[in-house]
Amino acid sequence: MTVAQIVFILLSVVGLGAALLVVTTRNLFHAALYLIASFFAVSGFYILLEAGFFAAAQFLVYIGAISILFIFATMLTRTVRGMVPRNSQWQAALFVSVILFVAMLLIFSPANFSLPFGQGRTFGGAEWQFAEVPNKPGVLRDVPASSINDFGRALVDLNQYGIALLLSGLLLLIGMVGAIWVARERKPREILAERARMAAEEAEERAKAAAKAPEVSVAHAAVAHDAHHH
Amino acid sequence: MSYAPDDIRRKAKDGLAFIILPLKAMRTDYAFIGVTLIVACALIGVVPILNYLIAPQTPNKAKRETYECGMETVGDTWVQFRAQYYLFALIFVLFDVGGVLLFPFAVAYNSVNLWGVIVVSLFALTLLAALGYAIKKGALNWE
Amino acid sequence: MDIINNLVKDIGDGIAAAIIGLLGQGLAADIVIMAIAAIAVFAVASGGFAALTYAERKIVARIQDRVGPNQAGPFGVLQPIADAVKLFTKEDTTPASADFWVYQLAPIIVAVFATLTFTVVPFAPGVVGTNLNIGAFYIIAIGSASTIAILMAGWGSNNKYSLLGAFRTVAQLVGYEVPMLLNIIPVIMLTGSMSLVDIIERQTGVNGGWGVPFIVIMPLSALAFLISGIAETGRSPFDLLEAESEIVAGFHVEYSGMKFGLIMMGEYMNALGVAVMFSVLFLGGYGGPILPPYLWLVLKTFGVFLVLMWLRGTLPRVRIDQLLNMNWKFFVPLSVINLIMIMILGKVFVSDPALFKANGGILIQPFAQVIIFGASSLALLILALAVVTRRVRKDRLAEAEVLQQRREANQQIAAAMH
Repeated sequence: MTVAQIVFILLSVVGLGAALLVVTTRNLFHAALYLIASFFAVSGFYILLEAGFFAAAQFLVYIGAISILFIFATMLTRTVRGMVPRNSQWQAALFVSVILFVAMLLIFSPANFSLPFGQGRTFGGAEWQFAEVPNKPGVLRDVPASSINDFGRALVDLNQYGIALLLSGLLLLIGMVGAIWVARERKPREILAERARMAAEEAEERAKAAAKAPEVSVAHAAVAHDAHHH
Repeated sequence: MSYAPDDIRRKAKDGLAFIILPLKAMRTDYAFIGVTLIVACALIGVVPILNYLIAPQTPNKAKRETYECGMETVGDTWVQFRAQYYLFALIFVLFDVGGVLLFPFAVAYNSVNLWGVIVVSLFALTLLAALGYAIKKGALNWE
Repeated sequence: MDIINNLVKDIGDGIAAAIIGLLGQGLAADIVIMAIAAIAVFAVASGGFAALTYAERKIVARIQDRVGPNQAGPFGVLQPIADAVKLFTKEDTTPASADFWVYQLAPIIVAVFATLTFTVVPFAPGVVGTNLNIGAFYIIAIGSASTIAILMAGWGSNNKYSLLGAFRTVAQLVGYEVPMLLNIIPVIMLTGSMSLVDIIERQTGVNGGWGVPFIVIMPLSALAFLISGIAETGRSPFDLLEAESEIVAGFHVEYSGMKFGLIMMGEYMNALGVAVMFSVLFLGGYGGPILPPYLWLVLKTFGVFLVLMWLRGTLPRVRIDQLLNMNWKFFVPLSVINLIMIMILGKVFVSDPALFKANGGILIQPFAQVIIFGASSLALLILALAVVTRRVRKDRLAEAEVLQQRREANQQIAAAMH
């Protein structure tokens, strides 16, 4: 058991535990904090992979910026403290998550296997790309000391990632324009119209829920009828 | 005086903690930060506990109330949260991501030619355009 | 002189040898050595913090024509200890409706992240906690992660004003991180590495460096970095949200005793971190002719902190909207334009024959390159200030004219009434 393995296991426990708590906790602010804990764990994984720059970038962007954005966004939804988020579709979500997890396991596993149906197609057996490392077949090579330099050079080279850089700048610009449009100042009439529309939708949902349980409502009507008569 | 070539080699034996350690991989650098994190958490975490032990403990109802300039709080705690705060955080995310992408370029600056510089200048100008649009629309105005 | 220079290294060697002799050449020895080094770093940071609280109170007092603490010990030297004892013996009240763990953990996180910046600062050639190859970037990342702790403190107190103060503080902090980021990038461009040791070596002329501190080459970046750093740590004149004379003291209103002490400690250590960063990035860190390196670093850091204290004692507070306007409408565009200018100048006027052969450009002496960079930075600064002052003057004159018209209208109405 090397130190790296122990650290990996600890980080996995922290990361997965925090991620699980994000989706099961009742308090939205606590969910945001557990999300930050899982970002910490991901940063630790980057360090284990000797990608120090990306660990710090994870800190800077995710913990330093996106977490704040999340927290502000939850505050924007008029959340009174203690409001419990309800998710009525959690069974379907759990099912889909399990399917996706099994699929990822199969695709990324190093073992080959083939399905019994179809044309016996083979999955798995993912090959990790190695450089020629002497005496060490099948092992990820060491990260060279000039990796950040290479990354920087690749980022601005128009033959490699230069176009991607420019496009990402454009994407950020578009995101900003969209956010400003969504958060624009609305005139009072617009605000009232929006509120009326939301109230109408809510009433519709309530009516649908009531229609799904006709016996209950009939019983209620009967009780109300009796109470009215006495 | 001349520029050093692409990578400036790190000295092998610098660092207070690594005078004798044989490993020179990147991970041991961060191990020190991890150890410092744990040590600092322990040392600093002791402080409130000590405070709790040393200080007198006489809680009464008035002391444990929420502070509101001496008045009683009415209603639940929620704040009129303006969308402005969200836009400030969003423009910060923009420039944060932009900065993260600019740092590797800065490290590789000596090895790129003028075309690379022009690409990055265009990227920086795109970010500036996003900021300019936000200012023009008055999104960064209040407060 | 060499004895002092290598003092810490020799002590470190001795301790490490003793521990390895005790525990063998394995993992346990490594961890113990690292733990001792971590405690040493923490002690340096805390010692600096304690000394600085005393120095600040004395110096700000003298600027304000009073004496400052002089009761606790000769010349008030034991004042930090007295403060610590006072904070320890204050009752630890927790608001009844506070969110317990969030409320308790927030001050600890603030203080811990503030001390983590000192692990990568080089104190002397060869004496550094750990020479990360991403040193400068790491410090920025740690600084930005501590804004979450402020949100936790504000929210955990379950107090409207605390929450509001926390939002505004986060808006200020988050805003001023952008110019800090953008102004470190030119330093890294001209160094070719993010490691702090390499940056210092580039400035002190070791390993083929310039021999010139970066503040001469890019004064505009240095100035913008310093001002953003002051605003980032929430010091005066940017401390509207936690000023001591405000009634509701911002996000830490519900904290008492040592938890408040920890938040204050985090704040001072952030300020010390900014001063140390400025000395390392722009003033040349531990480089200097005669004195030992530690002394140079201490002198430079204290000099920068003196400027911070001077600003605190002299300038009035800036309003929060003026603050944020100044950031997003002045500092960020200026930093981006400065960055682009330095990028292009660096490629057009090259001083290294090898690079000239590779990429072309105009070949000049390194000395001339320093002058070109410095002069263009100053020119950009003067231009930007001229543009801003002209626009501000135009706004102010327009406002004055509107007020004048209103006054005349009022006078006419008053005259008509009689």
